[in-house]
Amino acid sequence: MILSFALIWFVAAVLSGLVFRATGASGLRAAGREAVGMFRPLVIRLPCALLAAAFLMQIVPLDLVSRLIGAESAMPGLLAAAALGAFLPGGPMVVFPVAVVLQQAGAGAPQLVALVVGWSVFDLNRLLTYEVPVMSGRFAALRTLSCLALPVLAGLGAQLFLAL
Amino acid sequence: MEPTRTDLVFVGLAVGLGLLCYGIGGAQAFGDALVQATTLVLNVLPQLAGGLLIGGMVKQLVGRDRIAALLGADTGLRGLVTATAAGALTPGGPFMSFPIAYALWTAGAGAGVLVTYIAAWALLGLAKLAVWELPLMGMEFASVRFLVSLPLPIIAGLVAGRLSRLRVFRFGTGAQE
Repeated sequence: MILSFALIWFVAAVLSGLVFRATGASGLRAAGREAVGMFRPLVIRLPCALLAAAFLMQIVPLDLVSRLIGAESAMPGLLAAAALGAFLPGGPMVVFPVAVVLQQAGAGAPQLVALVVGWSVFDLNRLLTYEVPVMSGRFAALRTLSCLALPVLAGLGAQLFLAL
Repeated sequence: MEPTRTDLVFVGLAVGLGLLCYGIGGAQAFGDALVQATTLVLNVLPQLAGGLLIGGMVKQLVGRDRIAALLGADTGLRGLVTATAAGALTPGGPFMSFPIAYALWTAGAGAGVLVTYIAAWALLGLAKLAVWELPLMGMEFASVRFLVSLPLPIIAGLVAGRLSRLRVFRFGTGAQE
């Protein structure tokens, strides 16, 4: 936690320096306004999402989770996790708290990688509201098909990587 | 500030699951969850604020035109690598990435480049990584997930290049579609 906190604020500071050099104080103000604008809706939603996820973890049958997508679940677990990721509604504010719950409930790391990647590339919500209207259904189909193997590849990659 | 309908959905979800938790697990489970969620919120919010600041700064540095210019230049495997970098650097949500992809499409970019760009934005987007994944999932998970995802946009682009030769997926530039 401390490490990622330091990393994030270090990057933010470096980028602020770059923005200041490129555009001066006006650029910094614009970036700050943008950040505050994005932060404001999260002030209510994120604590609620994390709270809901924590409650969920108390009532979800943990052994079921670890059986379905635990570290031992291998390929069926990767597929189940990828499918779960594809169908989770509501964007990162739902997906990541759910992933935290599953992580603590005993889901395997490769399976969680498959879940996050599955959500990243498939996200049905995004497909229907942005991709099809902007890019056409045919493009969305082509892209989805091209990405079909990615969650499982990522899961297998993570498995190899973690075994090192 | 007025709570929106989305806010109410999240509040409702928290309250509903809280009642369910209390009903099933009792006061002990309810209290445990409360403590855990509070700890997580206190951990996550300062990082999230930093992440959003990064998103705002990146948007100042990398405009829509610059990304499009970057992508127009290369073709072949080099084009896919450039598209991967451009996708990773594109800040913001789908309201940013898909309009860029559409602009590239009408400018004549191939299916492989477009699919690689979208996949890279979705998988490697640095802003999303800083805002969500790092604070919530931790450094170790986020870095493993990012590393194994690095080659994936190029794989998707190569597959898309192949598939786009099939008759069903053959299409002109976006303007004609």
